Amino acid sequence: MSAAVPPVDVPTRPGGAPRITLIDAASAGLLLRQHFSSGDPGPVIASLAHVPELVGPTLPFLGAVLGPSWIPAREKEIVILRTSAVMGCRYCTEAHSVVALDSGLNVREVRALRGELPVGDVFTAEEERALVAWCDAVAQGAEADIRQARQVLDVDDARLVELTLLVATTVMLNRYATALALPTSLDVRERLLREDL
Amino acid sequence: MTALAQALAKGSLGNRLWLYSNYHCNLTCTYCLTESGPLVSRRELDPDTMVDLAHEARALGFTQLGITGGEPFLIPHMPELLLELSRVLPVLVLTNGTLFRRALLDRMAPLADADVTLQISLDHPDPVANDVMRGPQNFRKVVDAVPALLRHGIGVRIATTVEDPDADDLARLCALHRNLGITDDDHIVRPILRRGRARTGDMGVVARYLDLPPELTVTADGAFWSPFGPTVTGGVLDTDLLLTRTVRPLQRPVQAMLTVLGARPEGADSTLNIR
Ligand code: SF4
Repeated sequence: MSAAVPPVDVPTRPGGAPRITLIDAASAGLLLRQHFSSGDPGPVIASLAHVPELVGPTLPFLGAVLGPSWIPAREKEIVILRTSAVMGCRYCTEAHSVVALDSGLNVREVRALRGELPVGDVFTAEEERALVAWCDAVAQGAEADIRQARQVLDVDDARLVELTLLVATTVMLNRYATALALPTSLDVRERLLREDL
Repeated sequence: MTALAQALAKGSLGNRLWLYSNYHCNLTCTYCLTESGPLVSRRELDPDTMVDLAHEARALGFTQLGITGGEPFLIPHMPELLLELSRVLPVLVLTNGTLFRRALLDRMAPLADADVTLQISLDHPDPVANDVMRGPQNFRKVVDAVPALLRHGIGVRIATTVEDPDADDLARLCALHRNLGITDDDHIVRPILRRGRARTGDMGVVARYLDLPPELTVTADGAFWSPFGPTVTGGVLDTDLLLTRTVRPLQRPVQAMLTVLGARPEGADSTLNIR
């Protein structure tokens, strides 16, 4: 079966002010000072800092799932960016557009993952199109789509587990960032402007 | 020996667990760390939770309880709650001492046989100077309440919080507390801390966490490094000394406290006499 990526509705990504105060270095609890010692740790940590005991377990988990691993960075960023776009998460889509560029994707690929160009026109490798289809199916959660996407995703169980946990974790972060309207950092905005994204 | 038992034995962690019973108060002192007053959010700790925490504290090795606020005696059943808490651990209660009219004094009577001590604030030997900081009639109510509580057999200490202690004022204050029946051992003098209303009012000394003796403190908003931690500035809870939002099991904030204690630089003892 070939990996055509069925059209998915990539929502627009509303902006707006954060729905919580972001903790700054002066207000960071005693367990968290290391995260603020070299400047702004970003809105995920600055929001989690309201509940200090969540930071300790959450960051290593996110690092293990989203950070460098045996799966190449390009592959992981395809998953994170595509999932974030399908979920309509402005914060994650913008932040990971930049990370995707830094992980070797080009601007057209980023645009395609963001739903601005057809994936099939931009991604020529069969396995990458299958990966995008897997992200779409898992993020949207329809059993029939997942079954169909699995038939064309030619990976072993270990890869499937890690890629699927990556989609699921990204969905979790997408919901979190969208619900709290986390703000895109200035340097990400500037980079996106420079890249015309 | 557990890490907690070691810290308690060495004195690197205070052996008293503090509980913020509530944040509201009948007074609005100019230097109040918690911006307390009659209209603020009460943020009470549920009495059953306080009793449960006392049992957990004892099981973990803490040997004393401290109750503070806000004004604890605005909580309707505080005398009865204190009696119950004192059956678990000895209790020190911080109070402004202005609510001890006849009816409340009568309800305090059973505490005469209990291990409960009240720490009452009195800042200046002159009624006018005292009341400028703490509110009208504060001086008179306190000098009435102290002997009345002592007559009921209840232990009392006096705490004086001052910006720039004047030796002559202090001497007169000490004469006054002795006259009220409070010994020098039961009088503490401490600086105003630049947090809460004192910070807004440009008063007090700045204290880093290392200047504050570590004493685990539980509030309705979470657990803090010290009873001087859960302060409020501009209506917003200060979180710089927050350890955890989760307070039960008490082991959770205890573990966080031990982690911070373990990362403390050597020889980082307090120098500001904040207690
Ligand atoms: S310092 Fe104490 S008595 Fe004064 S307002 Fe604050 S809580 Fe009330």
